[in-house]
Amino acid sequence: MTPKWHRGGFLKLVVLLVALFAMIIISFIGSEVGSGILGFEPLSFLKVEAPKYQVVPERPFSNLPMTNTMITSWISILVLFGLFFIGTRNMKLVPTGLQNVLELIVEAAADFIEDPAGEKHGRWFFPVCTTIFLFVVTNAWVSLMPGFETLSINGEPLLRNANTDLNVPAALAVVSFCFIEYWGFKARGASYLKTFFHFGPLGQALKQVLSGKFKDGAGGLLNGVVALFAGLLEILSHLIRMMSFTFRLFGNMTAGMILVMIMLFIIPWVLPTIFYGLEAFFGLVQAMIFGGLTLGFACAAVMEEE
Amino acid sequence: MEGFLGLTLPSFIGQLINFLILLGLLTFFGYKPIRRMLDERSNRIRQSMEQAEATKQEYEQARVEVGEQISKARDEGQAIIGQAAQGGERIKEEARKEARKEAQAIVDRARAELERERERLVDELRKEFVDTAILAAEKVISETLDRERHRRIIEKTLEETGAFRRKVS
Repeated sequence: MTPKWHRGGFLKLVVLLVALFAMIIISFIGSEVGSGILGFEPLSFLKVEAPKYQVVPERPFSNLPMTNTMITSWISILVLFGLFFIGTRNMKLVPTGLQNVLELIVEAAADFIEDPAGEKHGRWFFPVCTTIFLFVVTNAWVSLMPGFETLSINGEPLLRNANTDLNVPAALAVVSFCFIEYWGFKARGASYLKTFFHFGPLGQALKQVLSGKFKDGAGGLLNGVVALFAGLLEILSHLIRMMSFTFRLFGNMTAGMILVMIMLFIIPWVLPTIFYGLEAFFGLVQAMIFGGLTLGFACAAVMEEE
Repeated sequence: MEGFLGLTLPSFIGQLINFLILLGLLTFFGYKPIRRMLDERSNRIRQSMEQAEATKQEYEQARVEVGEQISKARDEGQAIIGQAAQGGERIKEEARKEARKEAQAIVDRARAELERERERLVDELRKEFVDTAILAAEKVISETLDRERHRRIIEKTLEETGAFRRKVS
């Protein structure tokens, strides 16, 4: 309000920025890179271990086959189930607290899905698309919890972002693929197969050729072959989708995890916070992309073709 | 043991089952009750809005009806007042007529009374005059005549002269 106050606020900001900058410098000096540059270790207690990354998820319990990503996905499932179970225990017509939040999520997802898909198909797609979204985003966010990365057993990290295990995106991609094909058949019946095996034009052309109309038939034959080839491409694209689904999520999440690890290694303080924020955002974006693309492909599958 | 980039069948199947379990759990414990609640709420809201609309319409109708009734009542009241005024006028007129009639009757009675009184006075006067005349005549002619005869003579004379006629116009 007054200039004096304003100056005070500005001063606070400057002090804060200087402090943050000092923390960055101190932590950089303490880190392995800074120590290496200086040639000695003035702040050795600040040193963060060099990141060890392996693409294969670790197995913290030597006598049990489960991986740390499996544990994380169970945690995500428990978190989601717990939220929804508690939030829907005493449903009230006038919502409060958790029920309100859950209703907000469900309603937003329902609107998002039913907008392109329509009421009827939207009701089919809703559970799968929403669950994919929630699972991916919960996996991503759970692994940003403080202490998540530091827990370890037998020298192996106990927990690891489930999205960085190729099995998780692959399982989601397969689920997405299967449901899309199922909805395609459910909506269009056997005619859905025509998307992949389009013999109609070729058959007609052959009929024309056999009945002696060579001139019309020749063009028709070409069209028929093209339609057949387009169907084959469609099969291929449906299969490749699974791959792209899998590696998009896996790649983004793994890159994010490695980025945060490297930032923690180089400058342990302050700066990684920014990357944590970015990772939280990317987790949400990847979840929306996975759910949204499933929705888009599902809409394309149920749409009648002319 | 480990496949391409850590892709292994047991892990893959495990994660697949994880996801399907989550899908089932969320569908039955999350989406279904919440969507049911949302539908119920939107139904409730639609119902109450329809109800509000109906109430509004009813109110509007009632208002119109009441207005009509009020205006009808006002007309009726106006008519009654008119009738009453008319009745009052008539009563006043009747009263006036009655009063006039009565006054006329009083005047008539008074006139008749007067007439009678005058006749009586005239009779009286005549009697007196006759007696006086007789007395005078007696004195004048100093002769006592048969009183009755005199009377008759005088009466006759009076008739003839027309004086003190019985009927005075």
